[in-house]
Amino acid sequence: MKKIFFYICVVCIMSFGFYKLTINSIPKIVYGVFHYKIVNNQNVKDNEIKHFDIPSDKGRDVVMPNPDFLYSISFYDLSKGEVNLKGTMPDSTYWSVAFYKPNTINWYVKNDREFKTNQLDLKLSLVDNDEKTIKSPVKKGFMIIRILVEKKDQKFIDHFKSLQQSIKLN
Amino acid sequence: MKKLFKNKLIIIPSLIIVSFFIGAFIAISSINSSTQNNKFAIKNGNWTVNPKMDLKDDYQRALIARIGVFALDDKEALYFLSRKDDMGRILSSEYDYEIIGTPPSGRYWSYTLYGEDYFLVKNKTNRFSINIENFNENHPIIISSTEKKTNWLPSGIEKQFYITLRLYNPIEKVYNNLESLKLPIIKRIEK
Repeated sequence: MKKIFFYICVVCIMSFGFYKLTINSIPKIVYGVFHYKIVNNQNVKDNEIKHFDIPSDKGRDVVMPNPDFLYSISFYDLSKGEVNLKGTMPDSTYWSVAFYKPNTINWYVKNDREFKTNQLDLKLSLVDNDEKTIKSPVKKGFMIIRILVEKKDQKFIDHFKSLQQSIKLN
Repeated sequence: MKKLFKNKLIIIPSLIIVSFFIGAFIAISSINSSTQNNKFAIKNGNWTVNPKMDLKDDYQRALIARIGVFALDDKEALYFLSRKDDMGRILSSEYDYEIIGTPPSGRYWSYTLYGEDYFLVKNKTNRFSINIENFNENHPIIISSTEKKTNWLPSGIEKQFYITLRLYNPIEKVYNNLESLKLPIIKRIEK
């Protein structure tokens, strides 16, 4: 009887440990699965940028996408040095650049009004070099550029898509 | 049989496996059941909003990863989520709804419907949002599975769905007042 009580206590303590471990791992697992899907299904390597169309009901990569946005994404890796992000952005709509840690924390976001220019020119680095450098707290992470397409007029969409294509990461 | 149980080589791995499944099951169930009611969310009527997205707490981070991975920091955008109408009934495409009231002030707002799986609600017209730009202010916003002329948000064939009100660059007053802020209500109407 004593032994059974002991085993129950052990299971309770270990279950609590696994509960904490699972909670801690969920963001990393979600990120890992997303990374796997993008790398394998979309054939996108680290430090490459992938431009997506406006999300629809067919998209199954990320939950709760905003159907008003054109998304460009990249998994960055700074282990071999800094990366440069350049492009011509719209000057008449909301857009933003956001960076995330592998545990999905959004550690940086800046929008068009804060950039004050439609010429995107950023350096992402592990060290703080100059004004246009963003110091990343992690070697590997994730970037999303959002461009708002409020009107679903094909002309608008095509215009914003052509600007989206100008965004390069190298 | 007694000998078998006495064998530590069997008992220890068994305890670990059982504990793993219990711990993981409770964690996942708890995250899935607390997408609307969690200690981090601020409730305002039937809307909830997660105001602090710095996500230093493991549980909140897991929750956001489950329902809104890669969401923006709260200083950039607020995400109001509801799965109930003004009477507390689960939103379902069996019924029509009208959104009454205006969203809080900000640079951009939008309403979007998501199914139980948190993906966009399927519909033939590929219409997924009503936003500050395509909204016709002379007409109410109607959520329905059947086509409407203006301000129509298709609810497809969802047993239950969620509605998200996104607010980008809200004015400062919105942050100070999240619990009592006047938010639109979702009213069930005749189909």
